[in-house]
Amino acid sequence: MRGYSFRYFLAEGFKGLWRNGFMSLASVAVLTSCLIVLGAFSTLVANINFNLELIGSVNQIVTFLEPELTDEEILAIRDNILAMDNVSDVKYISKEDAYNSEKEKYSEYPELFAKLENDNPYNASLVVTYVNVDQVPTLQYNLNQIDGIYKISYRSDIAAGIRNFKNTVIFVSLWFLILLLLVSLFVIINTINIAIFSRRQEIGIMRYIGATNWFISVPFIIEGVLIGLISAAIAFVVDWNVYRYIESVIGSDIKFIMVMPFSQLMWMLVGSFAVIGFLCGAIGSLISLQRYMKA
Amino acid sequence: MIEFSKVKKVYPNGTVALDNVSFYVGDAEFAFIVGASGAGKSTIAKLLLREEKVTAGQLVVNEMHLNDMPDRVVPYYRRQIGMVFQDFRLFPNKTVYENVAFAMQVVGEPARNIRRRVPALLDVVGLSDKLKRFPDELSGGEQQRVALARALANNPKVIIADEPTGNIDPQMSMEIMNLLVKINKNNNKTVLVVTHEKALVDYFQKRVITLSEGHIIGDRIGGMFE
Repeated sequence: MRGYSFRYFLAEGFKGLWRNGFMSLASVAVLTSCLIVLGAFSTLVANINFNLELIGSVNQIVTFLEPELTDEEILAIRDNILAMDNVSDVKYISKEDAYNSEKEKYSEYPELFAKLENDNPYNASLVVTYVNVDQVPTLQYNLNQIDGIYKISYRSDIAAGIRNFKNTVIFVSLWFLILLLLVSLFVIINTINIAIFSRRQEIGIMRYIGATNWFISVPFIIEGVLIGLISAAIAFVVDWNVYRYIESVIGSDIKFIMVMPFSQLMWMLVGSFAVIGFLCGAIGSLISLQRYMKA
Repeated sequence: MIEFSKVKKVYPNGTVALDNVSFYVGDAEFAFIVGASGAGKSTIAKLLLREEKVTAGQLVVNEMHLNDMPDRVVPYYRRQIGMVFQDFRLFPNKTVYENVAFAMQVVGEPARNIRRRVPALLDVVGLSDKLKRFPDELSGGEQQRVALARALANNPKVIIADEPTGNIDPQMSMEIMNLLVKINKNNNKTVLVVTHEKALVDYFQKRVITLSEGHIIGDRIGGMFE
């Protein structure tokens, strides 16, 4: 393709976009919505994964001890656990340590803890650090067999809950996205159809003077691709701003959820938006053109 | 240059437009195809443009067989033919200069060549002073001259004019026909003019191929409209 031809194709693509103002706008609106939803779901899934990893990185099981155990008995249990497979460390947290740690955590409510001072409700515990997450069920079973341990707490239930939530999000978003992408494609096909129809006389003349299908098609493909890329750019800006807003709200108000920094998601969004926008535009145009391209 | 040999054209609705039509138009020859409405003149133009395919027989133009020409080759074939239509078929949103330049752009001609050649072509058809006009600012005769300049843009070997004077007044018609004769003589182009205008045909005394109901009923050099 020669330099001037490329300029011609690009200019024709933009002109087409402008000439078809309303339909172009409709296509951009639908595809932008689709990409915004895609961005929202994918950043949500990325954040769920991020939080799951954080939970996974706390590779500890807390074993709560019967209150009447003596120090010797506790030490014996500790040694017993340390001798087990998959255990790298066992740390003893006394009743007082537990009380102080919680008091510190909820320092805004000193009156609550003042009442509890003489009647400490917390139990002593042994915090078991494990090596391999896959063998946790075995470890849990072995811990349960030890006399003197009345309860063990592991975050597997939380992790499983989050994983289930993630799978539901992925399942719902996938179907939603397929539907939205199909609608976007349909609207782009219609837009390009109208563009071709309104220029059918010109296309006819172009054929008579020996224009190839390629020469006739490229401006329409560019028009479709421009619709895709403009939608991608708008969707990115919207998602970016919404994310920053949510980040600021969650970052300041909800302490137990970690929000991924946007910089870690930015290139994933830019890349996927650009590729999906480009492909939707190009495929939509090609489908419309197929019907008109004859000798 | 143009060879019809036992050509038959039947349209999908069953109409037989041409039947057993054979004629040969040589290099740099000028010929009129004449006949009443429905005689098959337009079908000949459509076949030559490869807008339609022959049903039976052979059609060869500039050594290219149109019967078995793949669709992807058709644009390259059309570049060897300059086509002029009754309704001019100019781009309404392009200036005179741009209309002619576009035909060269389509075939990938470098911008430098386009800038050099377009004014020369418009000079040949006498429109040097109207480069920046749009088609709707021109008379019918002038529009047809732009179409003629465009037909010449890629230096084709054959010019086919389908009722080129159908939409213009008699005086302009004579000018257009004079231009076609001049192009045939000075530029050695094969020129085929499909027309039903008796006065013009009789005036120029060129080869006349006469069609009636899809058959050739006359083919005379220096002939008259029958």
